[in-house]
Amino acid sequence: MNRLLHPGHLEDWRKRLIDETSPVRRTIVVTAGTCGRASGALEIRDALQAEIDRLGAGDNVGLLVTGCHGFCEMEPSVIVQPEGIFYGKLKPEDAPAIVKQTALAGKVVERLALEIPGTERRAAKLEQIPFYRKQMRLVSENNFRVDPERIEDYIRLGGYHGLLRGLYDMTADGVIEEIRASGLRGRGGAGFPTALKWDLCRRSSGHPKYVVCNADEGDPGAYMDRSLLEGNPHAVIEGLIIGAYAIGASEGFVYVRGEYPLAVRNVERAIGQARECGLLGKAILGSEFSFDLHVVEGAGAFVSGEETAMMASIEGRKAFPRPRPPYPAEAGLWGKPTNINNVETWATVPIILDRGSAWFASIGTEKSKGTKIFSLVGQVRNTGLVEVPMGVTLREIVEEIGGGVPEGRKLKAVQTGGPSGGCIPAASADLVIDYETLAKAGSIMGSGGMIVLDDRTCMVDLARYYLHFLEEESCGKCAPCRVGTRQMSELLRKMTAGKADESDLRRLEQLAQTVKTASLCGLGQTAANPVLSTLAHFRSEYEAHIREKRCPARVCREIISSPCQYACPIGQEASTYIALVAAGRIKEAYEVIVKDNPLPSICGRACDHPCEIACKAGESGEPISIRAIKRYVCDRAAAEGWDQEVRGDKDRVPRDRENVAIIGGGPAGLTAAYDLAEKGFRPTVFEALPVAGGMLAAGIPNHRLPKTIIAAEVEAIRKAGVEIRTGVRVGRDVTIEGLKTDGFKAFFLATGAWKSMRLNVPGEESKGVLQSLPYLKAVNLGEPVNIGPRVIVVGGGNSAIDAARAAVRDPNVKSVTILYRRTRAEMPAFPEEVEAAIDEGIDLKLLAAPVKILAKNGKVAGALCLKMKLGDKDAGGRRKPVPVEGSDYKVEAETVILAVGERSDTSCLTEKDGVAVSASGSVIADPETKATSVPGVFAGGDVVTGPASVIEAMAAGRRAAAMIECYLEGRPLLPEYKLTRPSLYIEAVALTPEEAVSAARPPMPHLAPAKRAKNFKEVELGLKEKAALGEARRCLRCDLETEDGRRAIKALKLKSGGRP
Amino acid sequence: MERDWKAELDDLLKDAGSRPRDTIPVLHQIQEHFDHIPPAALPFIARRLRVSESELFGVLSFYRAFTLKPKGKHTITVCLGTACHVRGSERIAEELETVLGVSAGDTTADGLFTLETVNCLGCCAIGPVMVVDGVTHARTSPQTARDLVENIRTGEKKS
Ligand code: FES
Repeated sequence: MNRLLHPGHLEDWRKRLIDETSPVRRTIVVTAGTCGRASGALEIRDALQAEIDRLGAGDNVGLLVTGCHGFCEMEPSVIVQPEGIFYGKLKPEDAPAIVKQTALAGKVVERLALEIPGTERRAAKLEQIPFYRKQMRLVSENNFRVDPERIEDYIRLGGYHGLLRGLYDMTADGVIEEIRASGLRGRGGAGFPTALKWDLCRRSSGHPKYVVCNADEGDPGAYMDRSLLEGNPHAVIEGLIIGAYAIGASEGFVYVRGEYPLAVRNVERAIGQARECGLLGKAILGSEFSFDLHVVEGAGAFVSGEETAMMASIEGRKAFPRPRPPYPAEAGLWGKPTNINNVETWATVPIILDRGSAWFASIGTEKSKGTKIFSLVGQVRNTGLVEVPMGVTLREIVEEIGGGVPEGRKLKAVQTGGPSGGCIPAASADLVIDYETLAKAGSIMGSGGMIVLDDRTCMVDLARYYLHFLEEESCGKCAPCRVGTRQMSELLRKMTAGKADESDLRRLEQLAQTVKTASLCGLGQTAANPVLSTLAHFRSEYEAHIREKRCPARVCREIISSPCQYACPIGQEASTYIALVAAGRIKEAYEVIVKDNPLPSICGRACDHPCEIACKAGESGEPISIRAIKRYVCDRAAAEGWDQEVRGDKDRVPRDRENVAIIGGGPAGLTAAYDLAEKGFRPTVFEALPVAGGMLAAGIPNHRLPKTIIAAEVEAIRKAGVEIRTGVRVGRDVTIEGLKTDGFKAFFLATGAWKSMRLNVPGEESKGVLQSLPYLKAVNLGEPVNIGPRVIVVGGGNSAIDAARAAVRDPNVKSVTILYRRTRAEMPAFPEEVEAAIDEGIDLKLLAAPVKILAKNGKVAGALCLKMKLGDKDAGGRRKPVPVEGSDYKVEAETVILAVGERSDTSCLTEKDGVAVSASGSVIADPETKATSVPGVFAGGDVVTGPASVIEAMAAGRRAAAMIECYLEGRPLLPEYKLTRPSLYIEAVALTPEEAVSAARPPMPHLAPAKRAKNFKEVELGLKEKAALGEARRCLRCDLETEDGRRAIKALKLKSGGRP
Repeated sequence: MERDWKAELDDLLKDAGSRPRDTIPVLHQIQEHFDHIPPAALPFIARRLRVSESELFGVLSFYRAFTLKPKGKHTITVCLGTACHVRGSERIAEELETVLGVSAGDTTADGLFTLETVNCLGCCAIGPVMVVDGVTHARTSPQTARDLVENIRTGEKKS
């Protein structure tokens, strides 16, 4: 290696290095930091090398292994220079194409180019890739260009030139002046001006002086320090030498996290090289300045990142922080003046000296100059390190560079600055990033961690996580931090377990204040930030945990217990009855089902099963077929006569309480009535139609939900003490006013959503245009309707599919076509229903929007349609269909059935009743208490929410019954919230080895399509015993994963004499 | 025969410093060599560094990187840093606790595995991350964790 004994030697060496590099046509740059290696970068390097050797292409193609390129999400990746062609997520098999087509022929390998999400385009050039396009790489640029193991690479690119300028063109004060003029502020913590810090230390009187590089800031989630030390260690070393010269320090330390072994190795090697060349040691570059540098490897204590603690650690002691003043600038290492900066700050210094302060100060905002590297991680599409000029907005970083949160998710907040920082809620995403604005938003820049959080993150859990972390990392020296973090952590644990009450929240807030003001060091003083910041923006989440025992993000396991039970609006204990079925205890399973559900057989067929959507088995495979298991149990109960026995006559409940009028006999009304009867009230259901069941009876055709099933459930409810008066339309036959005089003391409005919406296209008035609900009602009630022979159904919801499947069963109908303007993935109808419709010969035309109903002599002749394509996302995150220009085509038909949505039906109300109705025509009711604007009148279900599910309506009915009881007892309307838990714990079954491998969700047996023709027989036949029991055995039994669950199972095992 | 710690350590540490400020580097070297700090060696280390034994003990128990207990044949480290946490690393640690039957920080009875946790390995973009015998694994899940253990177990059985 060269010894540089004279300033001119550096330039000579650089020139020689440039001359010596043999010109290759292209260089393949492999990113091989720790993250790249973890993703297989070295295998890619080997495969590329093998291919270059095989083709004997070494003279034309170079291979360069560098540190991290920042786009870690895409690793392993390469960049082919000079064109800057980027390929990510590579496999060794891709090597031949990269060498042959790109490195030798300069062509892009299309299949390896990056897909641009939301478009059909692909991009390969760095300047086209959104992740790179918006960045400004100053400090991290050399990570693309140098082999960190070779000082020669750094020198060839002008490395150590800034040092040369400092040593020979400037005085020490001049260097500080230059840094001051650049506006550089510390790239960690609160952004203290670097020149000021240096100057204080320089003017301090002690000797010797020290400089320290803090490479153990350790904010989990921020890793730019590692990347710079691994990929470009000489920049940090050069910065330290310049700083030491300016301050007058003779010795320096790089304190690196022990968790970064590659960084430790690379920086140690680089220091060795620098020493050998005379860039460290005596008389650097022939000047009078001498300085040497050592690496200290951290040993896994977060507090070491605090500067006074770090100094204690370098001295060989426990990393205890101490109060400041005295500041390290006066009394630091061994009591001598010491200056600490972090990795990124040191790495920025040579750039400023090399290119000048004026240039640097031209970048950024008024008070925050230059660029900053952020570690963009968490729930974001493009994770990695990004370097941007100060002053870009948070949204630009997260949305444009980061590509936003994953498909179907919603941005919730961005956590910046590590545990001492705070959360910036999504609503503030337009925040301009600099030190001041972040501080104003209640966070800090810190070392630049940006953890993107979407709706899957629970903010209370996040606070718990941080406080647990800080509790463990508190060095324990001062009591406010040691005890305070422990107590806060304990309170948060209680909250996330659903065991806290309001007083705990108050205590948490008090503790946070105490810890903030009374702690000794920065770690302690900021330890309450995770709590304070989440409380400031997400207080309602805390309240949900505490008051409602709900975790809106569905993260806190002690609150969720089984996701199926938790997700069920009426809290059906799915995991319990599934466990009973698995154990062959079917009758008990039935008891568990009917305990919470007055319409079990209906739900077993027509429920939209939020339980299955939440099922954990569905995360890595198919969810448990919960609805089918429930149906199996109910069918079995009916066959065995258990239903009579279990639900039987409820006359044992004395019915001596007030009369309550339930208006509407759908799922909401029936559930409310049933619950009220169980509580001893005398409920009467007023139903306008000739049958009870509401939408269940009149909206869903028999092939999906047989009338006999509904009748049996209604009968059971009647037996429980509910009077049902069909054919009475409130608002026409009787009024609420009138019912009041008849002695009804409370009312529940549950009239559903029966008003059809229009399509608003020309020709809608033609004869032969029907609305789906009136049509289905007529079919279901056996009234005559004339349709066909060709039928068009417009819409993609269950109502559209029901109408289509009813129509195809009409003897006059020859063909049915469904027109839907989006794709199948967006269809709100149950997928299995869509599948069945196709089986029945219904033609599904997707991305088709009718723009005109065609008519001849006032009668429908068909529809004029436009082809659609999916465009950008709308506010709700769904991609909007946009018409394809000039794509219109005709579909001929004699009947058009519109199923484009329904609105609430408030015809039961008269003006005198005074119940407030919204602009869109729904009854306004408090979502929590179901109370309307009139005391004693409650409302719930579709009449309030617009069309929703059966089970939501039932939950509304249940809540209304509870609130009506409160009201009639003269108590305040306060719902009682309970933690989700099973009423009984059942041991899990052990799967046989074959089951463990091959168990799968059983298909639902169907009536053969040929047998369905022109009749309304039930299509789904229900699971057979073996399938149902087998499926129940597949359940993961999440209910046993809470503390209660584990304890209960241990007790059960002890009792049965087994091993605990 | 008594083990000659002094000679052994002198040999191991021949290039290392012997001032109090060398404590942490020296402990790192010993930890790396023995995979733990042998308690019997403490007096010799203290003498070499010119610190009291209790001081030395204080320091080594303060830092998580140093352990007095020998480790298992294979060490699995799960990152519980924030970026990994929001991607579900807690579940992975729990899965490993169940599969191995030990709590984090402990070694299995057969001496095969030590389970450790860490707050950030600096690979936050490819989390959840775990390190198995020095090799970093990206984008892990409870399932991959379980598979990794199974693979090591089968490998051990064969040999
Ligand atoms: S948080 Fe896990 S590697 Fe950083």
